[in-house]
Amino acid sequence: MSEIRLVNLRKEFKELVAIRDITITFPTATVTCLLGPSGCGKTTLMRIIAGLEQPSSGEIYFDNELVNDLSPSERNIGMVFQYPVVYRGMDVYRNIELPLLQNSRISKAERKARIESVIETLDLTHAVGKDISTLDNGTRQKIAVARAVARQPRIILFDEPITNVDVNSKVQLKRALKKLVKQHSQTIIYVTHDQTEAMTLADDIVLMQAGEIVQHGTPREIYDYPNNRFGGWFLGNPGMNFVEHQVQHNDGAKYLSEPLFRQPVQVTGLNGHRQVLVGIRPERVRVQYERTPFAIPGTILKRSIVVGGQHLLTIKVDGQTIKAKVPPDAIFDEQTHVWVECPLEHITLFEPEGRWFEAGLSYVD
Amino acid sequence: MTAAVEFRNIRKAYQQNVVLRDLSLTIEQGSFTVIYGPPACGKSLLLRLLAGLEKPDKGHIFLSGEDVTGLSPEKRNLGYVPQSFALYPHYRVYDNIAYPLTLAGASKAVIRPTVEHAAAALKISHLLKKYPNQLSGGEKQRVAIARGIVKDTKIFILDDPLTGLDFKLREQLFEDLRQMKTDLAATFIYTTSDTLEALMLAEQIKILDQGGIVEAGDLEAVYSHPQHIRTMALLGFPEANILPGRLYKEGDCVRLKTDIFDLPIYLDPSSADFADGMLVHVALRPQDVRINPRQANGILVKKAEITLVEDLGGEMVGYIDVDSMSLRAVIGQGAGELVEGASTIGIHPDALALYALETGRRVELGAR
Repeated sequence: MSEIRLVNLRKEFKELVAIRDITITFPTATVTCLLGPSGCGKTTLMRIIAGLEQPSSGEIYFDNELVNDLSPSERNIGMVFQYPVVYRGMDVYRNIELPLLQNSRISKAERKARIESVIETLDLTHAVGKDISTLDNGTRQKIAVARAVARQPRIILFDEPITNVDVNSKVQLKRALKKLVKQHSQTIIYVTHDQTEAMTLADDIVLMQAGEIVQHGTPREIYDYPNNRFGGWFLGNPGMNFVEHQVQHNDGAKYLSEPLFRQPVQVTGLNGHRQVLVGIRPERVRVQYERTPFAIPGTILKRSIVVGGQHLLTIKVDGQTIKAKVPPDAIFDEQTHVWVECPLEHITLFEPEGRWFEAGLSYVD
Repeated sequence: MTAAVEFRNIRKAYQQNVVLRDLSLTIEQGSFTVIYGPPACGKSLLLRLLAGLEKPDKGHIFLSGEDVTGLSPEKRNLGYVPQSFALYPHYRVYDNIAYPLTLAGASKAVIRPTVEHAAAALKISHLLKKYPNQLSGGEKQRVAIARGIVKDTKIFILDDPLTGLDFKLREQLFEDLRQMKTDLAATFIYTTSDTLEALMLAEQIKILDQGGIVEAGDLEAVYSHPQHIRTMALLGFPEANILPGRLYKEGDCVRLKTDIFDLPIYLDPSSADFADGMLVHVALRPQDVRINPRQANGILVKKAEITLVEDLGGEMVGYIDVDSMSLRAVIGQGAGELVEGASTIGIHPDALALYALETGRRVELGAR
């Protein structure tokens, strides 16, 4: 286990800036997911940590040791790639054992114990004696994971390790990865574009966009408190609703009202903004047929079935459309009139350019 | 109303491999119809037959009532977005989109506004002067779709056009595609093997599996009450739980036995659907697996072990061991909590759907 620290890290490929002056610490014994759309720089960042790519400028430290000039093998890192790297013509046991044999400090008994432990955790017992070429992709990837873990390197890097395996293996690998992390407390960096994978496996998520870090926090922090519009949009299926509001003045106080609020909402902490974006996640929007004091009238334009049989409603309110996710048993028909409420505790405010800012919201008595 | 498209008794085989066997289906005018099935089920082939790029061994294809089985591709008036779209690398985006019109000999006065309209619909107006190698994957896909919709026709076929794009890009295109169908007042025929995509896009759905249409109809009806086990297995996310079961008679009652429960069900033993000892698939949607339920009449409660919880942000998916079986459960925001470890689950018998093992057809249960 090692802490990884990157200082002013930058990577340019000709005119393209892949990494823009990133400074970040990955704490020891945590799983950090680098999450972002393709082209955001997450894979480049990981390759620089591995030593497979040299930064254009900036420093990389493992536990305060500068490692910029160390080769990938000198860095003592385990890596698992998108496509399983396994040795053909060898059985499963030998595949896991091979890197351990290269380290003379590991005794025979220790070697055996380590291999048996990962085989059990990864549920590979049934495959142990089998020739690699007879195994499916998911099992091969488990072997690649087992090999990386058994070596007990101080850091393990995963590059989209479950993107190309079948659905059942995905679940098994996720389960096994969580167990392994508990057992070994290695520092793990895990690259993925899949938000569910990141939210499920990570202690911390580093959300990236265009070579920069947008936000670094726990999965629920990133999901519930996005610090800019991009995070609100990128996480969630579908992402957050954003609705522009003009700030209104009355007697020295500032308010938000239409389109989303029926009663004026007093807002503090505006810092001079005259316009704000109100963000709310679809699953937080309340929809009902009965009128309530804070609800605004709307019309359902479209209803779709989504995850778990829930309904995604597209609702027209005051010239805007917003999306609401409601339970499977809630019956709302297209073209009917409904009342829509956006509870203040689930609202996030953003500057017009998309940055989050801390604001106080309250209904006026 | 004449159907926009009809396939009648289509058979297509490649040597011994029969891909479509006696397939018949009709597609309503003005509908957004999704042909949905597992990978390699023959969806692309169906569209290629419609476009005239392949010939059926048997059967007939009708476009707006006209038998086009013998017509060459250029004589069938269709807009087509193929699965693997090849943009011409040496043409600008504008000329790529204009290509089908140029080929058909349209005048510049027609081409320009048509291309601009299609580009606007797909939000790529700012890219018209670029070359394909200057575009991202998502942008290229939009260009390919724009090229498919410039034709002056009322029937558009799209062969899994969003495959390979990440979910966020696809999400944006769902709405654009539906809007385009409305704006063009056309029929869209769309194939996919992605269940969430099918659910988001379809008004009408045709489930294609093992060479034929196993079920077809209005999407919500098909989803909420599947008539065939393959529909239940394929349509829905997370996937439905399907357990092997057996029906048997006890006195005047019929009971259902699986590896994890044995309970009475409301089925008339004299029903034609029932035979003592018959084997069934027992299906249970993940949203119908209750977590830590309160004891209540009629709910079967079992000890369980939640082995993995996936966080989707707005939902949680749980993988649960119950006796020797594994089940999936899903809960939405505010509908309780899923935590890894020991737990109990509840199953309401009304949530179970039964399908005869032999035929795959649904065994209808009576109401309580």
